[in-house]
Amino acid sequence: MTADGAMTADGAMTADGAMTAVPATTPRGAIALDDVRLSFPRRDGGRLEVLGGLDLAIPGGGIVALIGPNGCGKSTLLRVIAGLLPLDGGRATLDGEAIDGPDARIGLVFQEPRLLPWRSAADNITYPLELAGWSVARRTQRMTELTELVALDPGVVGNRPAELSGGTRQRVALARALALQPEVLLLDEPFSALDALTRERFDLELLRLWDRARTTIVLVTHSIAEAILVADRVVVMSPRPGRVVADLPVELPRPRSIADLDAAVVTDTAREIRRHLGDPGDPGDPGDPGEQPDDDRAAPPDDEAVA
Amino acid sequence: MSRSTLLSVALALVGFIALWTLVVAVSGFPPFILPPPWQVADRFVRAIMDGTIAPHLWTTLSEVLLGFAAGAGSALVVGYALARSALVERLLSPYLVALQATPILALAPLIALWFGPGLLGKVIICALIVFFPMAIATMVGIRSVDARLLELGRSLRATRRQVLLTLEVPAALPSIFGGMRVGVTLAVVGAIVGEWAGAERGLGVLVNLARGSLFDIPLMFATLLTIALVGIALYLIVVVIERRLVGAR
Repeated sequence: MTADGAMTADGAMTADGAMTAVPATTPRGAIALDDVRLSFPRRDGGRLEVLGGLDLAIPGGGIVALIGPNGCGKSTLLRVIAGLLPLDGGRATLDGEAIDGPDARIGLVFQEPRLLPWRSAADNITYPLELAGWSVARRTQRMTELTELVALDPGVVGNRPAELSGGTRQRVALARALALQPEVLLLDEPFSALDALTRERFDLELLRLWDRARTTIVLVTHSIAEAILVADRVVVMSPRPGRVVADLPVELPRPRSIADLDAAVVTDTAREIRRHLGDPGDPGDPGDPGEQPDDDRAAPPDDEAVA
Repeated sequence: MSRSTLLSVALALVGFIALWTLVVAVSGFPPFILPPPWQVADRFVRAIMDGTIAPHLWTTLSEVLLGFAAGAGSALVVGYALARSALVERLLSPYLVALQATPILALAPLIALWFGPGLLGKVIICALIVFFPMAIATMVGIRSVDARLLELGRSLRATRRQVLLTLEVPAALPSIFGGMRVGVTLAVVGAIVGEWAGAERGLGVLVNLARGSLFDIPLMFATLLTIALVGIALYLIVVVIERRLVGAR
């Protein structure tokens, strides 16, 4: 993909991110993490190990959900993939190239929308395009495409974030992350602040989006149900320092719907996830292990550490 | 401005004039001590019409605007450096505090001695008095920029300049405009102080002339009224620009 959002090298992606044909080559957006280690400085002069030799391979075009206890390094791992945090050791690559900083091929949606309050929704959506030097005319055209892509009400694009509902704000954040047609979309519990019904609707819309663009998606979530509904694989992480303790395939056919959560395979997968999380829970309930937001984002993960 | 706001402003003005009239009536002060409001109003209109005030007003306005621009401009740069560099803060803070702690009244004669009675000395005094509140407001505003927005900028590969212009400055604008509101009124004070320290023209000079050689106390009050109106007008201009740039967030 070119920086200005033109067609990809394999010619598969249209301006609105829809696939016109299945690419003949391997889908782009393959992520490989090899012995990734990361620590933060602590106030006492020591180091707090957050990621301890993590290995993970995510094929291009796949959807992987990261799940694990609070503070296990899920969000930190997302920031490593986004090129926002330098590694202490190991290697992170995107399509075979080392990730050594933020990359236009990677879009990131944070837990909170992080919209610029002084800009309208439209100007927030086109912010990455503005930074990338797109002309006003092209930005406007792309904005229209993105509005349609994320099913954003065109009537609200002139409003500022304070005038939008939580769900609409998250749609705007999603559209912003998709603006430059990334090969990889990183989602850090993007729907955790939404009510259950809205969250389910967003999960299904995410699947619809993925069906059109086949972007690699890495979703951090606390919800086992959400992980199973959305992902091809659910990666379970250990408590800090984070490592992969289980990499479980979700044997659920696509396209998926909420009704699929009643399938026996979902119960089995949920049971497996719970077992690896060390949560006895209700073995038949593919619900959430907890709704508390992860607290291990860019800032050090606990009170002992300093940035 | 809403109708209720206009009404409250009008009521406050009427109340002030009523109080003034009452003080004059009750105290029995002669007009050369405290002229009644209508006498001041009459003198104000005549001084405007006969061109007594205009040349002084333009001189003071020039000093205020140039001094404010110089002081605010340099304060934006220094305030940003203070916010983003611990070294700059350590090096400059003592001097800034010392400058602020030294009364401008004490510095004005020295500046007049060094730069003469012309425009430059007044501009420097205005700039000095504007500088500190503006620099501190800028520093606080930049430091208060949400770190999560800066991370967003990094994730979108914003350059240093783009971060400054599209994130830091817009986010710090409410604080910066807070400093400007204070600074622009202080600039008027700086100009008057500068004119008192030595000048040939300006509203500060006219106050001295009216009180001294002319012994025209209503004119002195009319000049004070002009100074107050200049301050209010400039303050309102800053507020209007602030509303336009900052708006509702």
